[in-house]
Amino acid sequence: MKYYLGLIVEYLKNYIKTRMTYRADFWVEVISDLLFQATNLIFIFVIFMHTDSLGGWSQGEVVFVYGFFMVPFGVFSCFINLWGFSERYIVKGEMDRVMTRPAHNLFQIFLENVDPPALVGSIIGIVIMAVSGSQLGLPFEWWTVPAMLVLTISAVAIYTGIYTALTSLSFYSDAPTGILPLMYNVQGYGRYPVTIYNRAIQVLLTWILPFAFVGVYPASLFLEREEMRNMAFLTPLVGGVFLLIGLTAWNYGVRRYRGAGS
Amino acid sequence: MFNGTSAYLDFIRIRFLTMLAYRVNYYTGILIYTLNIGVYYFTWKAIYGGGGELGGFTASQMTTYLAVSWMARAFYFNNLDREISTDIRDGSIAIQFIRPYNYIMVKMMQGFGEGLFRFMLFMIPGMAIAMLLFPVKLPTAPEAWAGFLVMLFFSFLINSQLNVITGLMAFFVENNEGFMRMKRVVVDLFSGLIIPISLFPGWLGDIMGFLPFQAITYLPGSVFTGRIQGVGIWQVLGIQVLWFVLLLIPMVWLYRMSRKRLFVQGG
Amino acid sequence: MNAIEVKDLRKTFKVQKNREGLKGAFLDLFKREYNEVAAVKDISFRIPQGEICGYIGENGAGKSTTIKMLTGILVPTSGHLSVGGYVPYEEREKFVQHIGVVFGQRSQLWWDIGVIESFQLLRKVYRVSEQDFKHRLDELVERLQLQDLLNRPVRKLSLGQRMRCELVAALLHNPSIVFLDEPTIGLDIVVKSEIREFLKDMNREHGTTILLTTHDLQDIEALCSRVIMLDDGRIIYDGGLEELKNRWGTGREVQFQFGTGTKLAQLQSWTAGLPLEWSADNDLGAKVWIPLEINVSDVLGQVVGKADITDIKIVETNTDDIVRSIYQSGSAEKKNGEAAVQQDEGVVTHV
Repeated sequence: MKYYLGLIVEYLKNYIKTRMTYRADFWVEVISDLLFQATNLIFIFVIFMHTDSLGGWSQGEVVFVYGFFMVPFGVFSCFINLWGFSERYIVKGEMDRVMTRPAHNLFQIFLENVDPPALVGSIIGIVIMAVSGSQLGLPFEWWTVPAMLVLTISAVAIYTGIYTALTSLSFYSDAPTGILPLMYNVQGYGRYPVTIYNRAIQVLLTWILPFAFVGVYPASLFLEREEMRNMAFLTPLVGGVFLLIGLTAWNYGVRRYRGAGS
Repeated sequence: MFNGTSAYLDFIRIRFLTMLAYRVNYYTGILIYTLNIGVYYFTWKAIYGGGGELGGFTASQMTTYLAVSWMARAFYFNNLDREISTDIRDGSIAIQFIRPYNYIMVKMMQGFGEGLFRFMLFMIPGMAIAMLLFPVKLPTAPEAWAGFLVMLFFSFLINSQLNVITGLMAFFVENNEGFMRMKRVVVDLFSGLIIPISLFPGWLGDIMGFLPFQAITYLPGSVFTGRIQGVGIWQVLGIQVLWFVLLLIPMVWLYRMSRKRLFVQGG
Repeated sequence: MNAIEVKDLRKTFKVQKNREGLKGAFLDLFKREYNEVAAVKDISFRIPQGEICGYIGENGAGKSTTIKMLTGILVPTSGHLSVGGYVPYEEREKFVQHIGVVFGQRSQLWWDIGVIESFQLLRKVYRVSEQDFKHRLDELVERLQLQDLLNRPVRKLSLGQRMRCELVAALLHNPSIVFLDEPTIGLDIVVKSEIREFLKDMNREHGTTILLTTHDLQDIEALCSRVIMLDDGRIIYDGGLEELKNRWGTGREVQFQFGTGTKLAQLQSWTAGLPLEWSADNDLGAKVWIPLEINVSDVLGQVVGKADITDIKIVETNTDDIVRSIYQSGSAEKKNGEAAVQQDEGVVTHV
């Protein structure tokens, strides 16, 4: 454990050193990330120019959910960045190099692709939560910060599980582009009140691609919306289950890559 | 001898065949696009509530607009920016530039091969599924279809031109990734895919009227849902052609600059 | 003790069949067909500790597949495998601590930052203590003359400089077994010989076992006491380099230069009765190919007195020729066996 924590520090150091050479890029990346988030906020604002409530949720509440959504997403994007895995590691063969080193292969891949600018999104998310939370008059309790931590970690586990499972498909299919970019659209849907969707989409976003657990469910705990409280409590469990699924799928994929038991 | 036309056509064919090999992407792609349409359909349904009209769209027109725009995207979307940027970063662009063809033309052809594939195996089946699931009302007049196909082709051209321009930027900035992400976001938002442009607040809508993005989704979508009719259709086509021509300028200029940079400064 | 033990090692891959043309591609979209392809076919060998062994073969002969199995990347389909006392694919993370791997065509260094930063990171990855690291790095830097390069980003290094740094990266944790996959590819002669010298010294001083694949047979001649040659997944030769030359070397070549024009027919008639092959570019120069069983002096004796010779050069067959001739005869021998193999494996394609 200490070994892996040490490695995180070491890889981050290297990241920073790399970035010192391309300082302008850092900001381009931050801005493009923010622009991406801004698009979604613009969507929310435009919608509420034409209606007062979205399935019984006010603008303030939807914006708060959005703020919450940005926090785990930023953490996830910083540490788990599997874009272009197939291209870089399978097609160009870097997986072989990873396999000749004495640390878990997935962990090495995560570390080789750390992307700290994404954390700026998390910070802005917190700011959005604070601003819209105080406008809504949400109480700040003793459990707010611990709950935020637990829910953030759980949500990151859900993302990690889903994306790791999907990325492990690259071990089976020779497609270079993968379906990850498409998933980026889907994950956003969990930050709107899922009750506005029909049953099928609700089930999908709750149990199959549980993106509702990275947005509206956990955020409802702070918004004190009774109807989703139980779902909020379920978040850590869903996180654990999906992380397990992701890691299992990955390990099977690696087994296949190594030509074992296929 | 290098036979230009047939070689270029071959790039279309080869890309088409290459795309066929990557089946997993497109089975899931259809599902996810259907899901996208579904999510926005229900979101708009919640916004419309009882009925009425938003930004000149009735609820039923909005449904059709959504389905048509997403399916148009299924056709015109491509990753030419990423491909070009990769070619530049790993240096293989140099080989491309000395071959006896025009690199940009090749990329456009490859993009079109991909588009054809997406049209047949992605857009058409996706549209069929969307029509089964949601109350999508497509026009019956053959002129509307013919017009839509022509506009769709221009959507593809304009989107690909923007991609080529973003891709070639890799020559001039160290890491193009940020720009490519930005472009993607901007195109999805400003093209009217996520929100029809008439719903934006006036000033923002006005600004978008001066940008090329609306010619990719919003204008053709408006024609196809029957919001724009008659002479307006020719205007829309005119705007598309205009943007196609205007975008040729920076594209060709960047291409020239890139060649110069590559050959004079060695990359 | 053996550093590497391999017994009946086999690796088969499933390779997707691509049907031809538009219709075929459509069919592939819905139903895929696969071929079983054997890349390595039941090979066995042992490499004692401290040996430098060359592993050679044409592209697709199964070299990289073997190396990938030996380094724990791939799991064998069948057979036994032991490297440095470990079964590589079972305890991969523990095992790789004891080996060093250099893939000549792939970098393990960070592209944008100073080389030393990559080394520091690898120190952490391989859990090398600060003290050992410093000692080892000093030694390697000294030996490979990298002092000035340590702070330079990898993208600003020449290929030769980068390769030397790659070697350091693979050796920092002082592995007892080192795998080199094409370590000299693309390098110029000076760097090549520097790297060879370095590897030889390392082998002598630390007793490091080295297995290297290469297409450059001069690497083999300079480094290896032993050669394993692979063709189509099977070992076709395993033994010393000298023996290889003796057994497969087919003869020598003698080059003559003449002061006065001498016709090819004339030369042929002087040595009539001997199984020689003469060839000539012009009247002032000729070459003769002498099989092993005939003494060079016998041939010279026939020519020297009669022709006006200005220069004689005797050329031993080099390894290139030998290897080429082995491949040619090797595949010629195989033809019959292959037909049978094809029947039980279905279609055999090269990977």
